[in-house]
Amino acid sequence: MTASHIARLLAATALTGLTAVSALAEEVDYGTFDGYTLRVKLIGGAQYEPLYTRIAEWEEMTGATVDVLSRKNHFELDREIKQDIAAGTLDWCVGSNHTSFAPQYGAIYIDLNGVVGEGTLAAFQARALENATVDGRLVQLPRHSDISNLYYIKSLYEDADNQSRFKEEYGYDLSPPETWDQVKDQAMFFADAPRFYGTQFVGKDEAITGRFYELLVANGGQLFDDDWNPVFNSDAGVEAVNFFRDLYEAEAVPAGALNYLWDDTGLGFASGTVALNLDWAGWASFFNDPENSKVAGDIGLVRAPKGSAGVRTGWSGSHSFSITETCDNTEAAASFVTFLTNHDSQMIEASAGLLPTRSTVWDDAKAQFAEDGNDFLVQVFDTYAQSMAEDAFTPPLITPWIEVSNEIWPRLQAAILGEMTPQEALDEAADAARLVMEDAGYL
Amino acid sequence: MTDRRPPFWQREKYTPYLLLLPAVLTILFVVLLPLIFSLYTSFTGYRLIRPESLWQWVGLRNYERIFGDRDFWVAFGRTVIFLTIALNLEFLLGLGIALLINKITWGQRTLRTIMMFPMMFSPILVGYQFKFVFNDNIGILNNALQALGLSDGAIPWLVDKYLANFAIIFAEVWMSTSVFAILLLAGLFAMPRDPLEAAKVDGCNAWQVFRHITLPFLMPFVFIAMTIRSLDVARAYDIVDVMTGGGPAGRTELLWTLIARVGYDNARMGQANAMAYVSIVLSIAFTYYFFTKLMAARRYMGGAD
Repeated sequence: MTASHIARLLAATALTGLTAVSALAEEVDYGTFDGYTLRVKLIGGAQYEPLYTRIAEWEEMTGATVDVLSRKNHFELDREIKQDIAAGTLDWCVGSNHTSFAPQYGAIYIDLNGVVGEGTLAAFQARALENATVDGRLVQLPRHSDISNLYYIKSLYEDADNQSRFKEEYGYDLSPPETWDQVKDQAMFFADAPRFYGTQFVGKDEAITGRFYELLVANGGQLFDDDWNPVFNSDAGVEAVNFFRDLYEAEAVPAGALNYLWDDTGLGFASGTVALNLDWAGWASFFNDPENSKVAGDIGLVRAPKGSAGVRTGWSGSHSFSITETCDNTEAAASFVTFLTNHDSQMIEASAGLLPTRSTVWDDAKAQFAEDGNDFLVQVFDTYAQSMAEDAFTPPLITPWIEVSNEIWPRLQAAILGEMTPQEALDEAADAARLVMEDAGYL
Repeated sequence: MTDRRPPFWQREKYTPYLLLLPAVLTILFVVLLPLIFSLYTSFTGYRLIRPESLWQWVGLRNYERIFGDRDFWVAFGRTVIFLTIALNLEFLLGLGIALLINKITWGQRTLRTIMMFPMMFSPILVGYQFKFVFNDNIGILNNALQALGLSDGAIPWLVDKYLANFAIIFAEVWMSTSVFAILLLAGLFAMPRDPLEAAKVDGCNAWQVFRHITLPFLMPFVFIAMTIRSLDVARAYDIVDVMTGGGPAGRTELLWTLIARVGYDNARMGQANAMAYVSIVLSIAFTYYFFTKLMAARRYMGGAD
């Protein structure tokens, strides 16, 4: 009782204090745009939608109307935007964007420096803004960030029988993994296909490229050298591929994993049939909700483990909003994106577990969770705050990133399925990536 | 003074051309111009995200690249095999269904309507439906097999080299068999009764009647259906894209999924259009083949030359 009272008191104090600070720094006037219709293209999907309920508030405040032209997942939105560029039909103002996608779009989006107020930008985390910058231009305003940490089923680790059997088999104590080698051991230990799996991974598209990339870095490798030559076909690269391949061969991951994307891994963990799951914070509330998840109340979380070079995996990026060069009312557009990324908006997203890009929202959201007695989300925010601060790195912010990724992932799949050796697969991917980089003028 | 001739557009011999003009213009703008434009872009380094690259002429470079690309030829070969197996299966099953429905005297209309249900789904929905059915972990097929004791492992339907191709063909056949069934049923309805009765009087058995009378009569309908299907079979793109995306490791890659990835994800529209033109040639070849077969079948039946 006393403890929770104190927590509540602390939370309330923190909340008021911090709100006061952020209000001082910003003082945003959202303007009046009576009769104006703002045309926007937004990313859709369960985790992105709650924020859009605030659009009505912005409309009421400014007198403008928002016309949502599309609401699709990012891969489909990307195609649509590319078609718009090709057809010269960029007749809309605001579009959803993402760190990985932004470099492709060239100059279609404006530099937000000078468009969005300085006080507003100052409230964002420096690293989030840095990652939103392409060629020195702030082409996007980050809405929430994305990095993965390791969820696990707690009771499996607390089980005495598991502990003794694991120690006997692997020679060290069973505890939440600190390295990726331990993840491999434990995943194989827990796996009992097809009833239960040790872990899982996203198996296609940029998703698996990203997972490979972060493990490559954690093993001490890199994708490109300083002159943009592909060098991921290194020992570190082979070691990374072998991680996936060994798990797949041992049936420690579901056989269909190579077709999995984010929804599949998230729902898989929630179904209670997977021991360890590397995932973003956006699932945290879902995992811990007994309505949706069989592992609710039994979830542990640790920072993403380390690779063989002692570096933690930390592939990261942000979802964001951008304003087009062709926008007929930049002021209204800036007001809109500022509103959707302001303190209150980010609090809405944070309550679902999405990671804020404003420094103060981290503290305020955590205080809110503590006040609500949601210790799990407090732990989630503590863990993710640490990994965002210390482990996060983005993919190379280059125009042909997606194209390079499309050369890498089918070969990763071939290696995992045993059609090629990891070295052959990476050599072939590196040659293909070199061609892409040459065409794009980097080599 | 001679009579002034009316302006040429009012002269009688031009009237048919004038009347046809709107149709010709429409086809020109809607079909021919885009085709010429995409043919042109296949000779350029056109990238969707760099509109100015539309003018970057690269000659045959795109074609050289794809002809030297093993992945392209593998996808090409797989597409031919996919088309061959899917179209033939759809024909055989469609024929069976049509013959069975033709026998029914009560409730035939209802059955015909039910039979058309798969056609009413969009290919994307069909893709999601079978992605779920064939999912190795939570899919109903594996769960059913395990519950019945027929399998004790998770069969990787969408991963295994053969099973994955089987799964996408299964979904395609499920969706499109009714096209064949309906066209063949129409053929059966149009069939004259006299030859059948005469054959029975002459002592032919059921197989002989089918083999020598029903089937030859149906062949023009079969080839019409084949021609139509070979033109719109590319709709299967959505199914494959949803179920496997051409993967894993390119195991279910068809020309269409490859073209979409190169054109949109990689934004190399010039190269994608070069591939698309090879795909069009393939499509024309299939259509031409079925069309000559159609003509031959009609000649055999004493129809138009």
